[in-house]
Parts: sequence; structure tokens; C-alpha cells
Amino acid sequence: MDEFNDNEIAKLLRLKRYEQPPPGYFEDFLHEFHRRQRDELLRQPLWRICLERAHDVMFRLDVRSLASYPAAVTAVLVCAAVIALSSSANAEGEWTLASPVATRIFRTQPLRSFDESAQTHRATVPPRYVLDSVPVSYESTFRF
Amino acid sequence: MDQPRTDEDQQLVARTQSGDAGAFDQLVIKYTPRLYGLVYNMTSNHEDTNDLLQDVFSKAYKAIRGFRGKSSFYTWIHSIAVNMTLNFLKKRGRRFHLSLDDVDASVQNDKEFLELTATSSPVREADLSELQRRLNEAMMKLSDEHRAVVTMFHIQGMPHAEISKILRVSEGTVRSRLFYANRQLQNYLDEFRKNPVS
Repeated sequence: MDEFNDNEIAKLLRLKRYEQPPPGYFEDFLHEFHRRQRDELLRQPLWRICLERAHDVMFRLDVRSLASYPAAVTAVLVCAAVIALSSSANAEGEWTLASPVATRIFRTQPLRSFDESAQTHRATVPPRYVLDSVPVSYESTFRF
Repeated sequence: MDQPRTDEDQQLVARTQSGDAGAFDQLVIKYTPRLYGLVYNMTSNHEDTNDLLQDVFSKAYKAIRGFRGKSSFYTWIHSIAVNMTLNFLKKRGRRFHLSLDDVDASVQNDKEFLELTATSSPVREADLSELQRRLNEAMMKLSDEHRAVVTMFHIQGMPHAEISKILRVSEGTVRSRLFYANRQLQNYLDEFRKNPVS
């Protein structure tokens, strides 16, 4: 009796190409693929979706190519560092929506009454006014 | 089986990378029948093949942004499919159910089929469908790596060089695995021919 040789085995194996999936399988495969992708997307947490979107944007902008301009990249990094440092230094005195606002009540009545104001001058001493840094008084200036 | 035109694939890959999901759909449509044959003949189970193929394309879609074209898309997608299938088979172990699909009626017109049934050979002595069933069983007795090589070379018609790229082994390793697998298949089928009822 003959034995199977390599050639016959190879031919038999090649016939396995004709083993096919159920009819319509390949037509439905793409729809199934889309459905599974949608399901997978819905199961993902929000942060991952955001991360992937950000990654897409970065990829479309081809941010990686900017790395070929080291000077530009360095400048951007330095600017970012300076801005970050200055903003953190001012962070304590910085007004934010959450910080309390100091309010001041303006009083309508004068701070000093007329009488109080009059008491600032001594009664015995005639009033003196300063005009152009020259002392002026009501006393006669023509007294030689 | 001829390789598809790589320049056409490159264009579709570039369009996918720039955000055109429709271009990836075209790649899915183009490669599904080819990859189905590969994965199916490694798993011998239609449901497993379907799930694996869905996972293969899903993984490829996520990873395609990082595809730089060092190899062709053909090699790349086949590598993903083979590696995922081998990993799946390792997890599945020996627990499997044969759910072999029917041989398509067009096999009757195949030149090799006609040769096999017309000439005097052991094939003619046995019922071809029974022989195919035995061949499938014999295939499943091979190790996963050997079955992968047999599937790619004999069933898919890939050259040794392409298989070595996909599996990332030397061509010598591919030839050696093929030789060993052929011997094993020959032994199984001879055993069946000597004891057809077993």
C-alpha cells in the first residue's frame, strides 16, 4: 500500500482553503466590529476618552516634529517654567473668587466737627498762614 | 495566495492615521477573509475565530498610530493575528471543540481536488470528507507553533521568508518546523489509512 507523500499532504491541506464560514459572515463582520467598538467606548471611563482625544489632537498637530527644533522647544519650556514660578510666588496674595473681600464702610458724617477743628489753634496766638513757604501774619510788616 | 499591493495598503494606513476611520474599514474588509483562514485553521473553531478576529482588528486600530511602516501592513496584521492566536491557544490548552465549517461546494472544481480523486492514490481509497476530518484532527495534534507554520505555508500559500518575518524566526526554523509537521501529519494519516475505523 502506498503511503502519503509530502505532495499529497500538501494538496490535501490546500483543500482546507475551501472551508468557509457561514454565508453572510464577512458582510456582517464589519457591522459587528463597529458595534463592539461602540460598546467598548461606552465602557471606558471619561478620563481615558479625554486622554485619547488629546492624544489624537497631538498626533494630528504632529507635536513630535517640533522636537526637531530644540531651541524653540527649550524657549517654550523656559517660558512655561517662568510663568509657573511667578504665578506660584503671587499665589498667596492673589485674589480669587474664594478669598474673602475686605469691605469698608464710608461714614457720611465728618471725621472732625467744626469746633474740634477750631481747637487745633491756640487762642492766644494769632492765626498764621503759609503762602509760598513764606510765613504770613496779620501783624504789621512795616515795623522797623 | 498573492500578497495585496502594499502601496494601496500604505495609503489606507496613512488615511487611518490622519483620522479617516473609513480607510480602516477598507483594510478590515480586505483582510478579514485572509485572516479568517489563518486563525480558523489554527483554532478549528468558528466562534473562537470570530472573537479573535474582532480583537485583532480592534488591537490593530488602537496601535495603527504607532505603525511606522518598517514592515508591510500585511506582515504587521498577520503578526498580530498569529501572536494573539498563539496566546489564546496557550490559555485554552487542549480544551477545544471542533466546529469545522462545511467545505465549500466550489472545491469540486478545484484542479488539485480533481487530481487527488482521479489518480490512484491513498486519497482515492478513502472518503474525502472523512479524510478531511482526519486531517483536521491531525492538525490539532500538532503543537501550536507547528500548526501555525503549516497553516501559513500549505493553506495560505505564504513563502518561507514571509512566515519568518511574521513569526520573527529564521527561515531555517520555518523550514525545520515544516519538515517536522509534515512527518507528523504523514504518520497520523498513514495510521488512519491502515486502521480506517479507529
